[in-house]
Amino acid sequence: MKTLKKTWPFHVMLLPAMIFLIIFSYIPMGGIVMAFQDYKPWLGISGSEWVGLDNFRYLFEREDSVQVIWNTLFIAVLKLVFNLIVPFVFAILLNEIRKTALQRGIQTLVYLPHFLSWVILGGILIDLLATGGLVNRVLGVFGLGPYFFLGDNDWFRFTVIVSDIWKEFGYSTIIFLAALAGIDPSQYEAAEIDGATRLKQTLHITVPSLIPILMVVGTLALGNVLNAGFDQIFNLYNPLVYEKGDIIDTFVYRTAILNGEMGFGTAIGLFKSVISMVLILISYRLAYKWAGYRIF
Amino acid sequence: MKAISRKRWLPLLAAGAMLATTLAGCSGGGKTDESAASATPSAENVYKEKYDPPVTISTAWGVDPTLTFKNGETIENSVATKWAKDQFGIDIKSLWSVTDTNGAFGTKLRLAMSSGQEMPDILTIGTADNQIAQDLIDSGMYEEVGPLFDKYASDTWKAAIDQDPNVWNAYMRDGKKMGIPVLDYAYNHDYLLWIRQDWLDKLNLKAPTTIDEMEKVMDAFKNQNPDGLSPDQVVPLSIGFKTSMNTWMGDPSWIFGAYGTLPQQWNVDADGKLAYGSIQPGMKEGLQKLSDWLKKGYIPQEAALWDENKTAEPAVAGTAGIIPGPYWMSGWPLKDTVQNSPDAVWAPIEIPAGPDGKAMRHGTQFTNGVTLIKKGMEHPEAFFTYQNYLFDNYANPEPGSQYDNGLFAGYDYQLDADGKQLPIEEIDGGYVNVVRYLLVRDGARIPDAQMKALQSLAEGNEPKTKLEKDVAVNYGKETPAAAQVLLKQDAISYKNMFSGPTTETMKSKMDYLNKMENQTFNEIIYGKKTADAFDEFVSTWKAGGGDQITTEVNAWYDQVKK
Amino acid sequence: MYHKTTGYRIFNVFNTIFLIFLAVLCIIPLVHVLAVSFSTKAAADANLVGLWPVGFSLEAYKKTAANPLFLHSLWVSVMRTVVGTAITLLITFLASYALSKENSVFKGRNVYSWIFVFSMIFNGGLVPFYIVIQKLGLINSFWVLVLPGAVNTFLVILMLNFFRGIPKELEEAALIDGAGHFRTLFSIFLPISLPSIATVALFSMVFHWNSWFDGLLYLNNAKDFPLATFLQTVIIQQDMSSMSVNPKEMELISQTTVKAAQIFIGSAPILIVYPFLQKYFVKGMTVGSVKG
Repeated sequence: MKTLKKTWPFHVMLLPAMIFLIIFSYIPMGGIVMAFQDYKPWLGISGSEWVGLDNFRYLFEREDSVQVIWNTLFIAVLKLVFNLIVPFVFAILLNEIRKTALQRGIQTLVYLPHFLSWVILGGILIDLLATGGLVNRVLGVFGLGPYFFLGDNDWFRFTVIVSDIWKEFGYSTIIFLAALAGIDPSQYEAAEIDGATRLKQTLHITVPSLIPILMVVGTLALGNVLNAGFDQIFNLYNPLVYEKGDIIDTFVYRTAILNGEMGFGTAIGLFKSVISMVLILISYRLAYKWAGYRIF
Repeated sequence: MKAISRKRWLPLLAAGAMLATTLAGCSGGGKTDESAASATPSAENVYKEKYDPPVTISTAWGVDPTLTFKNGETIENSVATKWAKDQFGIDIKSLWSVTDTNGAFGTKLRLAMSSGQEMPDILTIGTADNQIAQDLIDSGMYEEVGPLFDKYASDTWKAAIDQDPNVWNAYMRDGKKMGIPVLDYAYNHDYLLWIRQDWLDKLNLKAPTTIDEMEKVMDAFKNQNPDGLSPDQVVPLSIGFKTSMNTWMGDPSWIFGAYGTLPQQWNVDADGKLAYGSIQPGMKEGLQKLSDWLKKGYIPQEAALWDENKTAEPAVAGTAGIIPGPYWMSGWPLKDTVQNSPDAVWAPIEIPAGPDGKAMRHGTQFTNGVTLIKKGMEHPEAFFTYQNYLFDNYANPEPGSQYDNGLFAGYDYQLDADGKQLPIEEIDGGYVNVVRYLLVRDGARIPDAQMKALQSLAEGNEPKTKLEKDVAVNYGKETPAAAQVLLKQDAISYKNMFSGPTTETMKSKMDYLNKMENQTFNEIIYGKKTADAFDEFVSTWKAGGGDQITTEVNAWYDQVKK
Repeated sequence: MYHKTTGYRIFNVFNTIFLIFLAVLCIIPLVHVLAVSFSTKAAADANLVGLWPVGFSLEAYKKTAANPLFLHSLWVSVMRTVVGTAITLLITFLASYALSKENSVFKGRNVYSWIFVFSMIFNGGLVPFYIVIQKLGLINSFWVLVLPGAVNTFLVILMLNFFRGIPKELEEAALIDGAGHFRTLFSIFLPISLPSIATVALFSMVFHWNSWFDGLLYLNNAKDFPLATFLQTVIIQQDMSSMSVNPKEMELISQTTVKAAQIFIGSAPILIVYPFLQKYFVKGMTVGSVKG
């Protein structure tokens, strides 16, 4: 009772969020049971047949299951890592530019591709990366290529990952820029007096100050470890690269979404959620154990 | 601390489970509907031209994203719903509507069922959402339509549907007709080849009639291009495989047709059974041919990445020599070619034949969807009143009759002071494709009517009937001639003969088989595998569920075949 | 001063060139879209347009301006973005303040934060969600665009981590002065959290501006659509193989230049917002203002 007296403002502050979460998140979560059903819309959740783990079995028993899951992991993990590192480094480099106008200008321009959907970008990429396209012509000047970026199993994943970074890094940089704004300038002043070079200042002040937010963003990104980016892959993949490019989401789209197999779709969603949850838990624990930092 | 938080989880989980049960309780209402309404409609219903007092038909709409509205109307309350009320005494009640893009209509139908919402009396579903139509039939909520159709449909409608009795096949269950197919114009997506006649003329070449002649033409287009384009700029034959090897524009399936098979569809074989086209021996030769053409640069280097619209780009740019596509392509997109390449002239030619003189193209179904009638609907005959009227008076109106100019003045047509039809661009407030406001998309179409109209124009007759005027104005001036080319080859048009619901094995295996098929075919074309990989594919396909699927497909076919 | 060393100067030149190069790479697609929107239809359909218009034409913009659906959807989008962001900001601000406290100060904090995280990772899918929306009577209502996404766990966690960077002494001083948590939050935390608030606001705005699926599924009439939903109906290709079409309809569907114009106008407002928010990212602002 005594603690409640002290903490009641916190509970009140959390109340609105809790109400929204219960209504729009926890109540619908009941639908997870569909993962264990052969769900038929006209029978509803209460009337559909229970099939145990059949829906999950289908994901693992396909001839190409291993391939599809591996592709997903491979693409998603590399995207996750580079979509942390690139914005992180970019933010630090951008921070070095002293002319405010130039700095803001660059910042705004790199943020643009985020706003174009993959339908549009996909069309543009198919032209840019064609064997006779701009990129190959530029590479040709250096005696390289031509490369069949989108139609070659050796290149496809690389192309997908790089183009995703190209689209998103400017947008992801914002978080780090906001964190940079929070660094106490007196730290740099002190280092300056000690005669530290800029590189040393960066390594000893800037980077450590950004580490917590990097851990936070990284941990939360683990929630996407089985999302390799449906929109992008769907717009770029083609029969030549199924071997390296087909991911869980495209396969679910073809089998479950197009055919209205909602039980199977839910099962895949649940599978992805469980994996994400486990990874987030681990990473939360590790961050607490090693860095003494509670991510949330 | 940790122990406490773990304990606090328990009530939360309990709450979650409770919520799940609540949800389960409030869904699945469709089921009760079914049991309450399995009785056939009462016998005392009388078919009338106009109902007084008015009767109600409920429906749900998947609105075409390009459909426009004017005068503050909506799909629920439009000139067409008012017309239904005035003309027939039918109140059209909308349960809901959704703009149909990204499969939203199908999704919304499933959600409506899941949440136990009232289902519409009359529901028209396009072929794109065929799976949900099949599900609805299997749900038992919708009525057998055969007897209703026999009893109420007008002679015009019956005659139209009899043009191809196979249109019922997709909606048959145990010999019962469960849905009325929505008729469409015949041959709409049958294709022919469009070729640059000006290039042929300048090179002194004749239109190719065989695959061999075609190779010579493509080689000349590429290496001695009459417009002076360098070989790497020319796409002699613009085709793409991204989505499928069997499609509507930039289609490659006729190349396999020259060797006796059509991929990715079910064809009738010599024994009268259905056989999957992609595993027939002719495929191998076709793939080798395509591989050769890719190497020689006759087809786009990026063909595996190109979808239908992409194949049209070089054609419009004036850098493509040949593009397969529908007979109406001169109206779109080819009419813009002259703006980029002023001398360009496109001419329609027949599908070339293979070494044995054989040619095949995929055919268009005479149907583009289905209309379902709900069990226990109070006045199913009212739907027939509505639809019969459209077939009798609108589908192919006589010159001078009420609908000779169009359906609703000020929407799809407008007359000037002298009673002459204005060009559609000049209609006050803009043209509206008003047939999409009707209960059945496109109102009423008689499959062969459009081709007949085109035929008449091609013979040099002045357009007289509404359809003739319509095609004359809207379809581009080469279209009648193209239609004739198309009809000349109607014997080589083969439809996909399997239109039934997804079979059991298809559900679990088809996606993987398709994937393997597309992959193997493209790898052969791109020279990553030799043509022998095809034989390997065929045996894997058969063993991996293909044989089982073939059996199931034929079991279905035996049931529906006449 | 490090700025004056030769090494740093060389670095600075290369760094500037490199970043400008990246920026140029990033504007290619948008410039292309812009070029297409000013080109003639024939050139656009033939894919002849690169980064400069071919056969300059304003036709696409005239058509876009004459489309009442487009203009109205722009308005709906502005409304949902403003209202939605305001609600999200308030909820996020309150919740993350509470969650930023130490476990020892706020017992039960951990449970709350896991409730957030759990909700972010697990979801029951579309069917039960739709049922809830329907039972709440939100179908066809403007609020369906705003309420379901009001709590965004990612933003809450982001904000709470920013709050942790604020020196403890500040809060303690305020509490000792007798201010309650609410007053501390609004009179002390609010003014010094502008960079993080700007970040959260921007993310929330972008989320609202780009969301299209909710509009499509829960709103019946195209005239109520937000812009992103409207664009979705325009740019997604229809499956032509099963639809009966004729050249006249194809002409309507494939308005390449008009699509480009709509995409450009559609992204312009959210692009313009960013430079305005940038002034809140000024270095040292947070702590500087505290100590000053």
